[in-house]
Amino acid sequence: MLKIENLQASVAENQIIKGFNLQIKAGEVHAIMGPNGAGKSTLSYALTGREDYDVTDGTATLDGEDLLAMEIEERASAGLFLAFQYPVEIPGVSNMEFLKAAVDAQRSSRGLDLHSSSEFLKMAKAACKQVNLPLSFLKRGVNEGFSGGEKKRNEIMQMILLEPKLCILDESDSGLDIDALKVVAQGINSQRDGQRSFLVITHYQRLLDYIKPDFVHVLAEGKIVKSGGPELALELEAEGYSWLESYDRNAADEQL
Amino acid sequence: MSQWLNQALAQANDINDWLAPKRRQSLALLKETPWPSRKTEAWKYTPINKIERAKFATRTASQTKAVEIPNLAAIELCFVDGMFDTTNSSNSLPKGLSVLQLSEGGQTNWALDSFKQTKPDKHFFGLMNDALATQGCIIDIEDSSEIVEPIRIVQSFSLGSQSHTRIMVRLGEASRATVVEHLHGNDLSFNTSFAEYQIADNAYLEHYRLAMQCQDAISVGGCHFKLGHSSQLNSNLIGFGSQLSRVDVDIIHAGEHSDAKFNVIYLLDGREIFDLHSAIEHTVPNGTSEQNVRCIVADHANAIFNGRIHIHRDAQKILAEMNNRNLLMSDDAQVNTKPELEIYADDVRCAHGATMAEIDEKSMYYLQSRGINRSDAQVMLSFGFINELIDLMQNQAIGDWLRPILRQRFANMEIR
Repeated sequence: MLKIENLQASVAENQIIKGFNLQIKAGEVHAIMGPNGAGKSTLSYALTGREDYDVTDGTATLDGEDLLAMEIEERASAGLFLAFQYPVEIPGVSNMEFLKAAVDAQRSSRGLDLHSSSEFLKMAKAACKQVNLPLSFLKRGVNEGFSGGEKKRNEIMQMILLEPKLCILDESDSGLDIDALKVVAQGINSQRDGQRSFLVITHYQRLLDYIKPDFVHVLAEGKIVKSGGPELALELEAEGYSWLESYDRNAADEQL
Repeated sequence: MSQWLNQALAQANDINDWLAPKRRQSLALLKETPWPSRKTEAWKYTPINKIERAKFATRTASQTKAVEIPNLAAIELCFVDGMFDTTNSSNSLPKGLSVLQLSEGGQTNWALDSFKQTKPDKHFFGLMNDALATQGCIIDIEDSSEIVEPIRIVQSFSLGSQSHTRIMVRLGEASRATVVEHLHGNDLSFNTSFAEYQIADNAYLEHYRLAMQCQDAISVGGCHFKLGHSSQLNSNLIGFGSQLSRVDVDIIHAGEHSDAKFNVIYLLDGREIFDLHSAIEHTVPNGTSEQNVRCIVADHANAIFNGRIHIHRDAQKILAEMNNRNLLMSDDAQVNTKPELEIYADDVRCAHGATMAEIDEKSMYYLQSRGINRSDAQVMLSFGFINELIDLMQNQAIGDWLRPILRQRFANMEIR
């Protein structure tokens, strides 16, 4: 499904991703863990095509299609979805209007019929209930005044409605209490159908208790330094990252 | 002095009606007021020479028809090039509401005193309007009456027309009403349209001025409000620019505990100009005012906002807020914003802010990452910026009517 080879990416001429390789097959769940500043968020932005995140070398394909040659929105329509670590607030644009526009755009780009408004309203209500948000959130501005947990759940709601092939979850667990974490994890698990693949980016093992990964990778200094099964996450939880040669206790927070 | 002005003054001298004493005062002032130029601060950005250059015709039978607002169910008062249009106007009025043509004002005991009461004399074209406006209407709402249907005053302007209209509205004590001033035209025309509102104690006015004329229109006008004790004004101004659009809004807090909200949306494209001057006069203590002015400027357009808040001596415990946000969609678009705060009381809270921003790239990326292309995302974001103010409108029919019109206008605003 997703194939990344020797990916190199820079932000403001600082190389952050330095030869990243990863292959994810249909239905697989891969977790990427790593210390602050390892390049986890940069990886997700480079793959989705965010401005100022320049891919300088390497390839990334989704089902054989060259992701890097596509516009941001084309990558989305090709089936790539990023659940943001910090979802953006957009006052004045209602969640419902936004969701319908996004689903319509992707369906028309895939050559599918558009849902009628009433059909879509039903789907949106169902998704809203599934992530345990009140229906009034559909009318509110996109993420406007939502709590951290509500924003994360809104991301999962979008994922449910957009039906992507590959979901990148960028620290979808950060800032969540245990109940919210369960709701988010359940939402994600409900989308595991043996075909859809996931790339779960997280600092902590905690999320992986709820979303069982097939593979765990450690990202440090812009590349994968260790890969293994679910047990690797447990080791990391126990030992931390201090075994990494490049580990720097004072590493700047990678938050943008 | 301009030839156009001389003609206008000569014409004004010949008007001899019930307003003649007031007109003479304004004429006298006009003769002392120099024709505004770019060096006149209040007219710095208003290209008045366009009035002189434009070719106006004498009025011919007009094809201009009023635009309908679905589901508004309004009491309609229609004017075409300033002339009252009986056929398209409502002929039955609810209890508590009376409407006279401006020419019939001599029949009332209050109109003469009220004329020029609320509108300040500072405005050159306001004075012209005092002298020349023979058309318009006088609306009176009885004490304690609630007029449920909105009163819509539609002014349509046809090609080459020149007109000067005056609307006078009096809301009696504890009365409630919605007034919609709708100005519209598809061709070159010149109009001055001023409205004066007296809002008595405990009364509530919901007000809309929809200045949606075409690019060729030359339109100068204003809305002037005087607020009594514990009265409330909720005013909305929605404007498209034109080669010359100038609106002055004065809100005078004459009674304590009065509250005024003034929300403005204007969208400019091409080489349009929209020049808005607002003045909030807090003359007495314990009042509140809130202004939100939002503007989107594309292409070579120029948006001007001059916002004045004047808190008089001893007008303590005032809360006054003014917020101006602008969205620039091209490198050649211009915004000129100037707050003017004059505060002579020491126990007040007065806040103002002006921001100039281009489309937020983080929001843009977010929408694109969901599959929405850049130009559609642009429309959504621009629309969201002003939709917040539409959401605040009390009258849902107007909001529902406006949304697609404004959305369409954005869609046509190209990024350059």
